[in-house]
Amino acid sequence: MKQLTFFILLISSFFLASCSLFELDNYDAPAETLWGEVVDVATGERVLTDQGSEGIRVRLIETSWGDNVVPNPDFFCMPDGTFQHTKLFKGRYNVQVDGPFIPLLREDERGVPLADETKDIDIEGVTKVRFEVQPFLKVEWVEEPRVSNGKIQAKVRVTRAVSESEFREKIEPMGGYSSSFQNMTDIQLFVSYSATVGYRARDERWSSAIEYSGSSFNSLFGEAITIESNGTIPSGRIVFIRAAARINYDTPRGSGTRRWNYSEPIEVMVP
Amino acid sequence: MKKVYRLALVISVLSTSCVDLDIPPTNIIGDEDLLTNESGMEVYLARMYSHMPFEDFKYMAQWGVEFNSWLGAMGIEGTGEALNRDGISTAFTGERTPYWSMAMTLLRDANYLIENLPLHEDAFPESRYNHYLGEAYFVRAFVFSAMARRFGGVPLVTRVINYPADPEALEVPRASEEETWNQVLADFDQAVELLLPTSPKRGYANRYVALAFKSEAMLYAGSVAKYNETVPGRLTGLGEKTGVRVIGFAENSWRAASIKYFREAYNAAQEIIKSRNYSLYKKRWVANDREAQYQNMVDMFSDLESPENIYVKEYSFPVATHGYDAYSAPFIFKAPLASGTCPTLDFLELFEGFDRYPDGTIKVTTGNSNTQGQYLLYDTPLDFFKDAEPRLRAYVIFPGDRFKGTDIEIRAGVYTGAEPIQPLFNDYSYQAAETRYQHLNAYRANPKTLYLSPREGSSQEVVTYNGTQMTAAGANGPFFDNGEGCLTGLYGRKWLNPDPSFEAGEGRSDQHFVLMRYAEVLLNAAEAAVELALAGEPSPDGADLMQVATQAINDIRERAGASLLSGAITPDENGRNIVRKERRKELALEHKSKWDIRRWRVQHYEGRDGFWGEYRNKDAFSNNTRYRFRGLYPFFSTESGKYFFDARFQWVSLKTFEYNIVDYYFAIPGGEVSKSPVIDQQPNR
Repeated sequence: MKQLTFFILLISSFFLASCSLFELDNYDAPAETLWGEVVDVATGERVLTDQGSEGIRVRLIETSWGDNVVPNPDFFCMPDGTFQHTKLFKGRYNVQVDGPFIPLLREDERGVPLADETKDIDIEGVTKVRFEVQPFLKVEWVEEPRVSNGKIQAKVRVTRAVSESEFREKIEPMGGYSSSFQNMTDIQLFVSYSATVGYRARDERWSSAIEYSGSSFNSLFGEAITIESNGTIPSGRIVFIRAAARINYDTPRGSGTRRWNYSEPIEVMVP
Repeated sequence: MKKVYRLALVISVLSTSCVDLDIPPTNIIGDEDLLTNESGMEVYLARMYSHMPFEDFKYMAQWGVEFNSWLGAMGIEGTGEALNRDGISTAFTGERTPYWSMAMTLLRDANYLIENLPLHEDAFPESRYNHYLGEAYFVRAFVFSAMARRFGGVPLVTRVINYPADPEALEVPRASEEETWNQVLADFDQAVELLLPTSPKRGYANRYVALAFKSEAMLYAGSVAKYNETVPGRLTGLGEKTGVRVIGFAENSWRAASIKYFREAYNAAQEIIKSRNYSLYKKRWVANDREAQYQNMVDMFSDLESPENIYVKEYSFPVATHGYDAYSAPFIFKAPLASGTCPTLDFLELFEGFDRYPDGTIKVTTGNSNTQGQYLLYDTPLDFFKDAEPRLRAYVIFPGDRFKGTDIEIRAGVYTGAEPIQPLFNDYSYQAAETRYQHLNAYRANPKTLYLSPREGSSQEVVTYNGTQMTAAGANGPFFDNGEGCLTGLYGRKWLNPDPSFEAGEGRSDQHFVLMRYAEVLLNAAEAAVELALAGEPSPDGADLMQVATQAINDIRERAGASLLSGAITPDENGRNIVRKERRKELALEHKSKWDIRRWRVQHYEGRDGFWGEYRNKDAFSNNTRYRFRGLYPFFSTESGKYFFDARFQWVSLKTFEYNIVDYYFAIPGGEVSKSPVIDQQPNR
């Protein structure tokens, strides 16, 4: 009996020896940080957005990994136009942001690069990156919003942040150009209980929109546009509002996602 | 004793390494057994057919091709036809199991047959040999078209790839979308040429089966080529790794491609029509008899010998079964679940036989919209539906109608206030959808005038009416706290086993599923005809295109008990919408509409006005990328003992769907992209 136990132990020790059961998995945890901001090249102000797939998308490709790398999972800028990723592996990355601004990576119809303003950087420790872009629109509040009977009435001014000629100069070589790209299509008023108000966090009961067809908005650039919330917001509540506007141009091209340029959020007390 | 152990150990070590078993295994079946005789071929075909991506009772859009009948329901994937309480009721933006690797296995089976059957050509008479080869082409065409509808351009694996081999030989990049559809066309054409005109055995394909699926596929291809152009950003792009146009069509080729595909769709459908092998099911149909017309359309789905059936997937208890009745029957037949398929009011509004408001929505009050006037009262709930199109009644169980010999009681609540009754809500908009009956003062006040039930059985609220106790909700609900009752006020009838003696249960259903029927061929011909006329093309076969379309629509309408067209269909957008709307109606709850709204490109916000085939204001049911559907809720009023109906957004288990332009092409499975140096992800993702 003793012999048998011995044999079994002997044989099973072979099994144990073959696997790295007691080895430490010592690959460093991803701990590098990438912090970035997206600013308007003309004014130096950050490009405001919404944290969701309709906002500014950040795409990282770890080029130091090897050939045929698949992009890291996309993430999105915070509403103030900054982004941060604190769990990255050390290495060289291509960083690209897509949002309501002239695309950084511009290619013609056959895929020949025209311009590449994406950044290739080594990420180690805390790496900071700053993208200077040309947003399509600028959206601002004109005056403090007024509240009556549970409805918020706000005045918004929308101006072009990139001139029509410059837009055309940069977008037309990408092919399939249409003059309708520059048409302003809609102004949104997002209302929410949350301070991170935006398209994602909007309350569908109260958020509203004004749509413009064709180039009908062209004469209204720079004018104060009045927009009113839907429904009745219960009294005694504090809500946050943001205005947003977009043109008839999707980024990245082909995604069909037309991203909004946003105003600052403001807090509104509903009496 | 010790020696014995040692000896045994040594022998066991040696024996594993020394014997060279180079003998053909007798228990493995090879080509000589399978590809040389009819019964062997049957085994081979059975394997292919059991892996075909057919969308029947065992297909769920949310899950993909998993051959699983669990939670079986129809039309719940954001098509607006029906709703379901569970997470499976979301827009068709992807499948849990992407149809990719499974497709490759089946393609290999088909390619293997194409390459190896010619070695055994002598074993069969010529027509039989051709038929078997045709089956392989049919399978390949079907698989490529199933993939193309999902992904656009796919790797065109048209040969058996042997492993191991050079990476060169193993890696097949995605072809362009146009090449992919051309391959689908070529394979269908091969199949049509080779297959016998009648199936040599039940369940086998034949020439007309291939033609019918060809017309369906070509209609898809033509529509995509044309309607990609209507999407903001022209839905097309080049793959990053290969530079191939993996989705969409080039600016200078989409027009010619779309016309070519529409012409193929038209010709294929016309060939079936002219063969006169099939006809619309009218065995019990009687002119001007609504009851007979309704019963006729119920029977057509349970009659295996229907002349309308072109291709059918059969089931047989107890060896091959599904569970549709166990999940989608009315609540009183719960076994073990129920109410999986609850049609919407928006769907019902496609049909004739109801009074309407000026904006086209169904009239439930005396005013000009459902916030105005007082509710119209009906003696019984079924009175509301007395003029409804017979086809609708065959597809949908109305409140108070009969099913399996039983009255289907559906009641949202009981109203005890005074008549006439003002609309319960003052806002019925999308934005107000989350304010429900249980939030109303009429329900919450004390004493209250509106009684509702959170659940069935002892949780029912009870009202005393004429000395008897009446439950607030009907026996089938809706219950505001139980999504297993009726959700919308309506139930699906199509596909349910109507036999009163049938006892439903999981894996107890064996009714067949009609994968392709003649009505679709007529609709394919009509749509392709209108699209060709819209493009200014001459008729491919000399027949008057508008006449073909008009005849097809009228034949279908006549059988359905709907009113006939007053004149010929015109070659414009109105004419096209007549055809589209008829398709939305006729082919509802058959796993078809989700592909139709996808190829028409009417699911994203900018195009959603055309969601229903006809024009409907998208803002009435959507908010940017999201959209919702409505129900029709019957209430009992105690003062007169009559019923009234309230039309509002889904009251129980409210579903909000979301669709973006990128969803028109599903993402390629991430693993396939990362492991291959040539497989491209969709360029717009």
